Amino acid sequence: MLRPLTSLRSLFRPAGILCGRHGAPTSLELRNSFTTSVVANLKQLPPRPKHPPESEIEESYLKGSGPGGQKINKTNSAVQLKHIPTGLVIKSQATRSRTQNRKIARDLLALKLDELANGAQSRVAIVSDTKRKRAASKAKKSRRKYRKLAGAEGEVEGEEGEEGELEGGVGEGREQQHVEGSVGAEEGVTQRENGEGGKKEEGR
Amino acid sequence: MPRLPPSLFWKARREISPLAASLLPACRDLQSTANELRWIKEHVQDTKSPIPAKIRVWRLVEKRAKGIPLQYVLGTQPFGDLEIKCRPGVLIPRPETETYTLHLATLLTQSHPPPPSLSILDLCTGTGCIPLLLLHSLQTTLPQTTPITIHGVDISPTAIALARKNHTHNPPPSPSPHHTLTFTQHDIFSPTLLSTLYPPNQNQKLPQIDLLTSNPPYISPHDFTHHTARAVRNHEPRLALVPSPTQLADGSNSRYACRPEDVFYAHLLEIAKAVRPRRVLMEVGGWEQAVRVVGMVFLGGEGGKDRGGGGGVGGYEVEVWRDEPAAAAASSGATGDGVERVEVAGREVVVRGVGRGRAVYLRLRED
Repeated sequence: MLRPLTSLRSLFRPAGILCGRHGAPTSLELRNSFTTSVVANLKQLPPRPKHPPESEIEESYLKGSGPGGQKINKTNSAVQLKHIPTGLVIKSQATRSRTQNRKIARDLLALKLDELANGAQSRVAIVSDTKRKRAASKAKKSRRKYRKLAGAEGEVEGEEGEEGELEGGVGEGREQQHVEGSVGAEEGVTQRENGEGGKKEEGR
Repeated sequence: MPRLPPSLFWKARREISPLAASLLPACRDLQSTANELRWIKEHVQDTKSPIPAKIRVWRLVEKRAKGIPLQYVLGTQPFGDLEIKCRPGVLIPRPETETYTLHLATLLTQSHPPPPSLSILDLCTGTGCIPLLLLHSLQTTLPQTTPITIHGVDISPTAIALARKNHTHNPPPSPSPHHTLTFTQHDIFSPTLLSTLYPPNQNQKLPQIDLLTSNPPYISPHDFTHHTARAVRNHEPRLALVPSPTQLADGSNSRYACRPEDVFYAHLLEIAKAVRPRRVLMEVGGWEQAVRVVGMVFLGGEGGKDRGGGGGVGGYEVEVWRDEPAAAAASSGATGDGVERVEVAGREVVVRGVGRGRAVYLRLRED
């Protein structure tokens, strides 16, 4: 999640310097001034939550049936964690590396626990909130643009109200919904994994 | 191998991708099919080639669908924090090996007092995964100035060449002149093994070896044909899986009165008797084999007075490690103090962790 944003930031910084040298404000610089708010939000993001202590975790590797060892060669790198105090179960088989999966599973567990403890103030909630606001602002801009185009053709209609409604709608009511979907969105790969893992567990 | 229902193929097509249906016979279930297809696609994305990505994915899937292990198809297998190169002709590192090697590294670094120096010998090294991971873990946890000397030995020149490649493929995080890792091609049944590895000096004494590790071939010919996965049987080297009497220097295994699959353990214990390493770890193929190997250690009788007598190795504490040696013992087998014990040849042996019997661990008693 952070990666595309930081790359965006680094993209804009040299552009800003370039514009400064030229003296005249360009469209790039203008865009830069819009993005500052996003960059400021980024800085305020809470840090990634720390892993819970190992004593609270029950870890198991999911192994296939059979003798194991040299006799079979299954790429079974899946790791399952159970957080004993809360009973949360996290499974990761994102990579071929068991060592890597253990780290990913612990990251996910820490995020889930943070979400449980802090609710709307958790990292997951804030990250998804920032994302949603950005998407809303993008949609608003696009709507404004097409309305302007439509207006140029002389079909001006009173759509102001709709826009206002949408802006107002960006509030408390939707929070929960977005938090749900956003745990996995943190890491592209693990999201897929989580979905599949979840399905499997329900089946059992 | 049970027949897969056609509905499963349709499901793979519909829910994953048409490519998944062709992977299904090799992977056997939807979950691992989805995983392997994703890993193949990721591998293609991460490596550069003039050939279009789609064609490369298709080619790799075709290879995997033939039953070739994924590690040979992609050319690598993650092992701890390392990436081990895998080539046909050399055994692919297994996750169980990774688990006990990491546990072993923790034991070495947590020992009190910290070791002033470490000398490690790995026999039947294959890809070199055990010594490479040990070196990597020890380098990152022990002080830089602690001398670490590691020897890896294998009979196969292909394996030794690959192990050397893996050594350069996984460079140390911070190179140190105190750490050496060498791979030597040698038959461990040859009487010249020790004099080749440790050239005799003036006082004619072998250096103290801190750890002897080995993942030798341990499958019996019967188990190889009946209880070994098809992908392993058809694509991995038999040399690394089934002990064969022709590997012995004198052309027979009559030297050791044991089952054919245990020949290497008999010889490893003989080597252990000669060099008296502080710790020995040998991978085994299951609980029954672990018990047999422990029995071979005890054969000589009690304590330190039996050195060299009757084939047993005296003076060692013996443990059996399960698949996950670091995990707390299952409550069913554990006694009052939470430690699982079994009796072998009239002596108690500590069993660590959960899972199947995976390794026999010996520790020299400090006198």
